[in-house]
Amino acid sequence: MIPAPLASFDLLYLAREDHARTGSAWLGVMALQDIPAIAKALLAAGYHLEDISGLDAAEGAVAAYHFDHFTTPGRITLLALAPHDAPVFPSIAAIYQGAEWHERETRDFFGYVFTDNPNFIPLLLPDDMADIHPLKKPEAARASLLTLFAGEGRGSEVQRKAEGFTLLDQPAPTAADDAKAAPAEAKQPEAKADDQPDGGKDA
Amino acid sequence: MTRPIFSDTKGDFYSINFEKGARENTIILNMGPQHPSTHGVLRILLELDGEYIVRAEPVLGYLHRMHEKMGEVKTVGQYMANMGRVDYLHAMAWNWAWAGAAERLAGIEVPERAEYLRIIATELNRIASHQVWWGAYILDLGAFTPILYSFEDREKILDMLQMMSGARLTFSYFRLGGVANDVPPVFFDRLREFIPYMRNRLNMYHALVTGNMILKQRIEGIGVMDVDACNRYGATGPMCRGSGIAHDTRRAEPYGLYDRFDFNIPVYHEGCCMARYMVRLDEIEESLKILEQAVAAIPEGPVLPAKPLKFNAKLPAGEAYYAVEGGRGKIGVWVASDGGKTPYRIKLRAPGFSNLSIFSELAEGTLIADSIAILGSLDLVIPEVDR
Repeated sequence: MIPAPLASFDLLYLAREDHARTGSAWLGVMALQDIPAIAKALLAAGYHLEDISGLDAAEGAVAAYHFDHFTTPGRITLLALAPHDAPVFPSIAAIYQGAEWHERETRDFFGYVFTDNPNFIPLLLPDDMADIHPLKKPEAARASLLTLFAGEGRGSEVQRKAEGFTLLDQPAPTAADDAKAAPAEAKQPEAKADDQPDGGKDA
Repeated sequence: MTRPIFSDTKGDFYSINFEKGARENTIILNMGPQHPSTHGVLRILLELDGEYIVRAEPVLGYLHRMHEKMGEVKTVGQYMANMGRVDYLHAMAWNWAWAGAAERLAGIEVPERAEYLRIIATELNRIASHQVWWGAYILDLGAFTPILYSFEDREKILDMLQMMSGARLTFSYFRLGGVANDVPPVFFDRLREFIPYMRNRLNMYHALVTGNMILKQRIEGIGVMDVDACNRYGATGPMCRGSGIAHDTRRAEPYGLYDRFDFNIPVYHEGCCMARYMVRLDEIEESLKILEQAVAAIPEGPVLPAKPLKFNAKLPAGEAYYAVEGGRGKIGVWVASDGGKTPYRIKLRAPGFSNLSIFSELAEGTLIADSIAILGSLDLVIPEVDR
């Protein structure tokens, strides 16, 4: 039973998730041009927008949208993927007005462009930092979506998959993978991050 | 270095940008970032027609510390110290959100006594958060005395939280898989005394303030928002419960042992500042109920698993979202890991961020004085909004 507002869209990918493991009820991947229409359908069905955030993955610039419902809870995580050299997404601020700030924040942190955001100026970072995006990763440090959305049993309940969409295809588990996936503990007792600045004063 | 694309104008960028859309014969007023009613460093640009607000735009970032970036360079254990500094009024809830997200991803079980201590810490902290809000809100509206009473009571809570965590404000009490340490036996005596004491004081809060005619005229029917607005802006916590939505993350998405506890979700349908005021005060009573049950039922046992996750442990590859109910609404932590030494990405969903984003819509057409009443009713903690 796919959530009703998503049923009429050709999502690239949609899988049922184990809430106890991932916190979501559904994980989907949207085609870029469908984002506003999907948002409209979700709002009409009474879903609220939790947040929008970026994720700098090897396969491209990912925008992640979290939706939930006040009376029939079940988080829907929807991803959209754009190329690194053109991270352009359609804005949903005309539908979910709260998205205006989330999109501006994502612009600050990742340099994404949300077309038709009504007030697309810096939100949290200063305006003279407009071309510095601190959460963007250097190419060598980018991880694959397959790694970031890994997990045992993940993808076992795929409801929809577009032809040729293989980004979230989990490989069949092998003994070596199991060993790798177990929470390994760092060998070095001292983490390098110790001397990071605290980030200033708290009021 | 490429040329910044936003700053090629002289003067204050946000003022210049805001003035572009102004009508004729209005004035632009800058409020904050050092205005007492903005609680911290929030700045609001107002376009005024006489005393009426035509347009309002919050300007954020004065307390932005980039906690999400810090999360990418610290280990899971080190990052706990950041959580007490995101929302200093309900730090325990943020502790829980981060511990919960990491535990969900790593599949760690929490011992039962630690689960109870987590609930006790979080509910005590929730009461303290509402007390600060209550006192400060009345102060915003022009009455000085109530904050003295609420701070006196809050001191008693902080004494107890200090026994638990050693801190009085920026707590880092949670650990992955449990809590930092057990509490001394005297803690439970203090807590047992506190519950009936606080019930009395709550009655006194109501007698002192709630029925007051001036308060009613200032906040009843002001800043009305409906269910649709909550959906459009993602407003949660007392904001949505004051608008008739019986939604509480502790019930909607039970975490910890909250499904064992008997408590109500206070709901008011007016959607105005008074409704949000009543929700918060009623929540103090519900938290007391939870504390009462927790003190009676807490079992003996360890507060950390036999093999706790080390301070610099790596999270397995994958992602997880964990939501908890904070004093201001739904706190969410989304963590993605590539199995490396530090998390790959951490997203912090601050309820205050979404709750404040509705301010422009609520303030439109109101008097300046009413906009202060509305702003206060959002229960803002700016470090949480800015992160």
